[in-house]
Amino acid sequence: MSKIICRCEEITEDEIIEAISNGARSVTEIKKFTRAGMGLCQGRTCRKSIERILARETGRKVEDIGISSYRKPVRPTKMGSMK
Amino acid sequence: MKTYDAVVIGGGIIGLSCTYYLLKKGKSVCLVEKNEIGSGASGACDDMILLQSKAPGISLELAIESLELYRSLPEDLNMDIGFHTRGGMILIDKCEHIDLMNDYVEKQKHYGLDIKIIDKTEVRKKHPYVKENIIASTFGTKDSQVDPMRVLKAFVKNSSDMGMVLNRGKNITEIEKHSSWWKVRFDDESSVETENIIICAGAWSHEVGKLVEVNIPVTSLKGQILVTEQLPPLGKENIWSSDYIVSKLNPELSEGDSTYKKLGIGLSFSQTEDGNYLIGSTREKGIYDKNTTCKAITILTKQITDFFPILKGVNIIRTFAGFRPLSQDGKPIISEVKGKEGLFVATGHGGDGVALAPITGKLMSQLVCGERPSIPLEALSIDRFG
Repeated sequence: MSKIICRCEEITEDEIIEAISNGARSVTEIKKFTRAGMGLCQGRTCRKSIERILARETGRKVEDIGISSYRKPVRPTKMGSMK
Repeated sequence: MKTYDAVVIGGGIIGLSCTYYLLKKGKSVCLVEKNEIGSGASGACDDMILLQSKAPGISLELAIESLELYRSLPEDLNMDIGFHTRGGMILIDKCEHIDLMNDYVEKQKHYGLDIKIIDKTEVRKKHPYVKENIIASTFGTKDSQVDPMRVLKAFVKNSSDMGMVLNRGKNITEIEKHSSWWKVRFDDESSVETENIIICAGAWSHEVGKLVEVNIPVTSLKGQILVTEQLPPLGKENIWSSDYIVSKLNPELSEGDSTYKKLGIGLSFSQTEDGNYLIGSTREKGIYDKNTTCKAITILTKQITDFFPILKGVNIIRTFAGFRPLSQDGKPIISEVKGKEGLFVATGHGGDGVALAPITGKLMSQLVCGERPSIPLEALSIDRFG
């Protein structure tokens, strides 16, 4: 079995490569096509790995791969604590 | 022969659906996307194919047809697109909404929708965690959902297999009209020639329209949505509040203070296949800022925990915002442009783009091929704006 890249959503390297072969060209598109980075940690663990896989598969440099967007909240936040 | 039969401008769910149905008719298509697939509205929305929320009339008629297409799409696209029919409920917690909702339900029944009003006991049987002082609810069996991301992916994959050329990351600088064809120029000096152009640029359609001297009266309706951690289902049906319907159809009747009104708040609450709940949403006109705001997050949280107090202990893991394309009268534009042969517009679907994508693509492919559209489109013509 291929390596798990996104642990929250259990998305493997093969699934990410498949998304790229299906047309994904950015970290956000990979996220939307596979759910990698959509889990509880919101890509804090897998973001960098996905950038590296995308760079490798598309023959680009990691620094040319744009970052995926950051949104509130910074960490999971209980609704009852929001005032 | 020009390079393409059609250039579709905009890689959202509408542009992708138009592309897919044109390719199925044997046309060659180039899809132009300046950012990313689904980066405007289609990748930043909830997952519902709501029938109950559609205004009785052409919008509802389109939604019913679109739902039928969605039923067969998983097989046609050979991909699981997360299609489910769970039904839906519009919760009513304000006495003054009862008459309006009764009236609304009667009109919808007229179009053959299986929908009724149920009382408090019935509501709490279906959704045991809803607050004590709920008054009533609508209950419809046909409301469904899909995973928009999977639909985008399936359209991209199937269209690529049929020969779609995806032209991304470029801005269009100029569109020239020639005798019976068009030349589209990009900011990297490249260009393509095409018989037809279909503008599906969502909230940016007005800008694209300027390039061909056509007024497309569409602006952004920003919607902010919250995502919870994954949970077991609280109930089967997806949920809206009557405030949502009032906010959508009669904004002037909307309750609440001016912040609520300005943000166009109306509750929508649905669970994805993966277990995350999506909590929406705002309806902010003319805003093109992708950031989410603490004010909107707080109000949406307050609203959902008022309806479902049990959610106070549940985590929000993400928030996002999308720009739904809102036309001047709130109805979609699915139209040829008179006097400009080979120019078509498909946009202005507001919050209904995902729901209406299949039928829009199918109708547009009929228009482009010179066939009679299977649903009369006069009411959706761009001519209505004068």
